[in-house]
Amino acid sequence: MSESPWLRIGWRNLGRNRKRTVLTALGLAVGYFACVFLVGWTAGIQSQMVENATSLVSGQIEIHDAEYRPERSLYDTIGGREGADVEALLRAIDADPSVLAAAPRVYAGGLVSSGQATSAGMLLGVDPGREVALTRFLEPLVDGRLPVAGRNELVIGEEMSRQLSAGVGAELVVMGAGADGSMANDLYTVAGIFSTGLIEFDASTVVMPIDDLQALIVLDPGRIHEIAVATEDPWIAEATAARLAAALDTTARPVAVASWTDLNPAMVEYVALGESFYWVILLIVFSIALFGVANTMLMATFERRREFAVMLALGSTPGSIVKTVMFEALAIGVVSLALAAVMTFPLMVWWHNWPPSLGPLFGDVTLMGALLVPDLRVEYNVPMWIWTAVALIVTALLAALYPAARAACIPPADTLSGL
Amino acid sequence: MPGFLIRVLSIAVVAATASLAPASTASAQTDPLEIIDRVDRMMRGDSSRGVATMEVVTEHWERRMTMEIWSLGTDYSLIRLRAPQREAGTATLKAEDDIWNYLPKVDRTIKVPASMMGGAWMGSHFTNDDLVKDSRLIDDYDVEIAFEGDDPDGVAVWEFRLTPKPEAAVVWGSIEYRVRQDNYMPLWTKFFDEDGELARTMEHGEFTEFSGRLVPGTMDMYPADKPDERTTVRYEELEFDVDLDPSYFSLRNLQRGR
Repeated sequence: MSESPWLRIGWRNLGRNRKRTVLTALGLAVGYFACVFLVGWTAGIQSQMVENATSLVSGQIEIHDAEYRPERSLYDTIGGREGADVEALLRAIDADPSVLAAAPRVYAGGLVSSGQATSAGMLLGVDPGREVALTRFLEPLVDGRLPVAGRNELVIGEEMSRQLSAGVGAELVVMGAGADGSMANDLYTVAGIFSTGLIEFDASTVVMPIDDLQALIVLDPGRIHEIAVATEDPWIAEATAARLAAALDTTARPVAVASWTDLNPAMVEYVALGESFYWVILLIVFSIALFGVANTMLMATFERRREFAVMLALGSTPGSIVKTVMFEALAIGVVSLALAAVMTFPLMVWWHNWPPSLGPLFGDVTLMGALLVPDLRVEYNVPMWIWTAVALIVTALLAALYPAARAACIPPADTLSGL
Repeated sequence: MPGFLIRVLSIAVVAATASLAPASTASAQTDPLEIIDRVDRMMRGDSSRGVATMEVVTEHWERRMTMEIWSLGTDYSLIRLRAPQREAGTATLKAEDDIWNYLPKVDRTIKVPASMMGGAWMGSHFTNDDLVKDSRLIDDYDVEIAFEGDDPDGVAVWEFRLTPKPEAAVVWGSIEYRVRQDNYMPLWTKFFDEDGELARTMEHGEFTEFSGRLVPGTMDMYPADKPDERTTVRYEELEFDVDLDPSYFSLRNLQRGR
């Protein structure tokens, strides 16, 4: 019960110099705003990187034959030489509640040639219907449409299209090595052009229906290299991968189920690094605020030293003077928080849902194999909001410590006599 | 010796006669470049035509091809598959630094891009680079005699060691090459990577006389990292100094598919 008068005193003291109170509170509130926004942007960039790395061209989970990685041999298909019942595998994967989509893939290397120009290409066989549910790079296409199986059609990246001067309707020769050692080659028509923004990928990737690629490289229909899986949220991929691994344990030959966190540990580390950086942001912003608030509090207590002298002369203990000042700081902290909330959250909601884009200024950026669209989307990070609020109150209190101690040490007689 | 394949080294090394740097000599009497020149002169005509079979054995498949080979100097060669039937007519043209493949199934010619020069040639353990670089090894490597004397079988041999010149952009860290002293026949060539690890071994054997010249009738290439795999080239016919001129090695002729 003894606390309530102190809080009241602290609150009342705020009214003595309203302008100063508002300015001090604004300082702290802007600090809060800065922290929450910087963290929100960092998290926004990270979530975009993760999202693009896991949904642009690759899934969040990849299932291969246990021997497939890292050599990625043409022969290490799921189920080995005999292949697998791909439909049954897909059904088993689709049955998992976290799985949004799953799609089979076949990979091969080859040469792609148009007239005089030839480039080395990665041949990617996909099930177009399933693939568009899994990844974003085939929909929308820059030009044309998806290839139709059995018609020798393919889609190529924008950069390859430029290098080979081959637009929609152009004829391409694809040449590779058949799984039986033969020289695989055939003539195809470009049905569409895709663009991921990942230049290397767009320059080297040739996508065709999985059956057509299997026919070209003499691979049986049951032989695929990969099943890519998308989950609802990149951060549940690891747990989902573990469940899928258990569900697929029935196959005769072991499969390896890897989530993007296994496949791209650098990205995971980068995200962890970014998260540790949040604390650095917090420390820097509130260190600056600390001195600003300390300065104001010092001024406020100095102005009122006669008042403190009277209190001391009337028998108040130095401890109660400290309490007065500290509670005043606490009250400032609370006001700042209210101000900060008013300032921050409407903008957060706005920039989370309708982020302003810097695209016209910078264009797209590629980082660690992930495409970044430079917009200022902020991510919500509730634990960080709470920690920032704690940091704000702690800053207000820390800033008041020295002024409070100074106030408690005022010599009453000298001060009152005007010395 | 017709065909760039067997010539991988022999021709390569003949150019050394023109090069001025006899890196070192094991003994006062033996000049490595002179020996190599002689080996090469014995094995090489200005031009040649031959028929060879190539057998490729890998972990996953085995296949046998029959091919006809024309060559002119070190710059030109043309190889056309006769069998298997399904791929008959498929051809490779090497003209100076470039390689083109003709694909009869789609009736198109593809120039092999620089990035694919390290790729396998016709599924074998030879690379496209082997076709092109053979005439240039000596520009890029210094030659010295590493060994001179009897090998374990009691055959007198020379062993040459080729090390890349400092500024050369090359695939191999070093190359070793063994030649018989009595008949100047090459025995084997070993290719080492930049860490000094053996990458592949090429063995020559079945020395046979074709058109009055003694040449190795077979060549086996063994990749060091896949002990069960090999590519074997065996000459069935071989004639030297046939009537060919550079115009024979044209893209038009490549596509003619004779």
